[in-house]
Amino acid sequence: MPEVHQLIPGPITCHCWNGDRSRFAISPNNTEVHIYTKKGSKWEVQHVLSEHGQKVTGMDWAPKSDRLVTCGADRNAYVWTFAGEEWKPSLVILRINRAATTVRWSPLENKFAVGSGARLISICYFEKENDWWVSKHIKKPLRSTVLGIDWHPNNYLLAAGSCDFKARVFSGYVKEIEEKPEATCWGKKMTFGACMAEFSNGGGGWVHSVSFSPSGNKLAWVGHDSSVSVANQAADGQVSTVMHSYLPYLSCLFLTENSLVAAGYDCCPVLWMHDDAGSLTYINKLDTAEKKQKEFVSAMDKFKGLDNRANAGGRDVELDSTHQNAISEILLHTGSRENVSKFATVGVDGQLVIWDCKSLESSIAGLRFK
Amino acid sequence: MRRLFVKSQRRPKMSATLKPYLSAVRASLTAAMCLENFESQVVERHNKPEVEVKSSKELLLTPVTVSRNEKERILIESSINSIRVSIAIKQADEIEKILCKKFMRFMMQRAEHFFILRRKPIEGYDISFLITNFHTEQMYKHKLVDFVIQFMEEIDKEISEMKISLNARARIVAEEFLKNF
Amino acid sequence: MSKNTLSTDFRKVDVDELDEEKYRDDPETSEASNEADQVARREQEVKRLTQSSNNMEALKVCLEDPPVSTKDKALKERNFNVVLDVLTRFRAADVEKAVKSLSSEQVDVLMKYIYRGFASPTENSCGILLSWHDKAVTAGGLGSIVRVLTDRKSV
Repeated sequence: MPEVHQLIPGPITCHCWNGDRSRFAISPNNTEVHIYTKKGSKWEVQHVLSEHGQKVTGMDWAPKSDRLVTCGADRNAYVWTFAGEEWKPSLVILRINRAATTVRWSPLENKFAVGSGARLISICYFEKENDWWVSKHIKKPLRSTVLGIDWHPNNYLLAAGSCDFKARVFSGYVKEIEEKPEATCWGKKMTFGACMAEFSNGGGGWVHSVSFSPSGNKLAWVGHDSSVSVANQAADGQVSTVMHSYLPYLSCLFLTENSLVAAGYDCCPVLWMHDDAGSLTYINKLDTAEKKQKEFVSAMDKFKGLDNRANAGGRDVELDSTHQNAISEILLHTGSRENVSKFATVGVDGQLVIWDCKSLESSIAGLRFK
Repeated sequence: MRRLFVKSQRRPKMSATLKPYLSAVRASLTAAMCLENFESQVVERHNKPEVEVKSSKELLLTPVTVSRNEKERILIESSINSIRVSIAIKQADEIEKILCKKFMRFMMQRAEHFFILRRKPIEGYDISFLITNFHTEQMYKHKLVDFVIQFMEEIDKEISEMKISLNARARIVAEEFLKNF
Repeated sequence: MSKNTLSTDFRKVDVDELDEEKYRDDPETSEASNEADQVARREQEVKRLTQSSNNMEALKVCLEDPPVSTKDKALKERNFNVVLDVLTRFRAADVEKAVKSLSSEQVDVLMKYIYRGFASPTENSCGILLSWHDKAVTAGGLGSIVRVLTDRKSV
């Protein structure tokens, strides 16, 4: 059974967990960031961070250095450090002239990437001499708002999905703070901002989310044209795409090298498998929740519903899934990148749900996370 | 007796296409109403319904129509953060045209109470809804779709009821007037 | 001091159109010129199949290679009429079987044609299109409708 927490009545825009999962932060669809901590079996708000002038659109928590970075529609980003009793913000000079949409720390936490509506990605790192965070821009060939970002495990490459229907891999190598990267299957020359690969489905659906596999050789993305795609760069850039028959997904995450979980407007996380031969297959819905038992639905109600709305149900409002509205984000909760044992989802219904892979394996017949 | 005659004249074999029409509209609306928050990429610090502003072509989806016949159709235009649904209502004769126009005007003047109603219909249609991601965040998406479908059904019923009562009143007035002669 | 103060034409320039970084749809490719021949050939093939009452094959043929790359409206209109003709020939009871025999790409293309048909309704076409729509949604799910909405190229 997934662990369900109804945190707020409205949508949760974004969330992130701290290193030991004792705290998490969410943005309740406004300018604030709420930090929750566990009190007994429930989660309660411990701190409220309000520095952003407009809606907070993305956040990420660095597990080792315990720094929180948030970005908002006010074109700003702040890095928060916990000093004693309070969280202290430090402004990041992003130099963007439109809203920021998403932010991610790099695996080594020495830099982070911010996607924005200014059609560029800001890679920010800390400059010791002046004691502030500065940014470098990746512009070409982005042609529209960046919707999702994910870092490659090698700390140099990053993938971005944007509204111009493409998923791309860029180099985020910042020579001021790190050594020259080694060649990977994505390419040898990694000058900052170089576009290492560009993928498109050919049809046209905004790429909502991208995710690198634990080894970094595969890249998965989900598009608004109800598609899931995985590019295997280790196999000569072979791309497998499946145009599925469900509503589009908004977020995806690799649980192991071959299993991918995706969720979106169907309000339910779904498991996909990609094997080394390149076949991408739908495995199962991961939500076994049933609609709560509603009161007696009379035959008259059923007929009325059928006649009025071509809908054979009674007067039902609840959906038969744990989340009651679209799922906006999936994040790793417990386990390593290679083997995720728990993942967390947040949705437009204000719920935070933690899914346990082991108990899913036992409750759904024939399900194995390989 | 006359009333029954009028009613049956109005609906010859119409209900055969009603159920498939409504289920086609339901499916199309559910597919098109996948909205998310999107800050404007043209004006800083602004958040506008992209289907109205139409500033960036890549953010707009292909408009689709679902028609029951030549007169009754529904146009669905969607984008990343908003959807516009325009309905063309069946108006069989002059009286229905006038009733429909007045009724729609009445509702559109009170658009803010409806939240999702647009103050002016799109060209070629009688009434339009504008649903944004803010509405889908506050209200259940499947209930919004239910509402639009129920609205379409009830408008037809309301207009035919109004027409019947209008005819009845006109008959009474004419009778009274002609009694003088 | 500007000499050109009389002319205010500069105010009418659409600055957004001149933006180089704006997204632009891919321009018409060379495949477009082939499509005219393809449509003509398809028309012949379909006519032959429908005359011999082979409606299932005719359906599969008319759904092949939709003329998405071309911008020629008359060509698309001609192609669509061929498809609509085939769809009309099916009896109501056979529609479900026909849709089941299609692959998922073919169902996606069929959906596009159905919505195109709704956009220009004639007296009898809507009832037929509605029954095809119902069966196609059962086969292709809401995803097939989403693809009609998101695809940049129309049929």
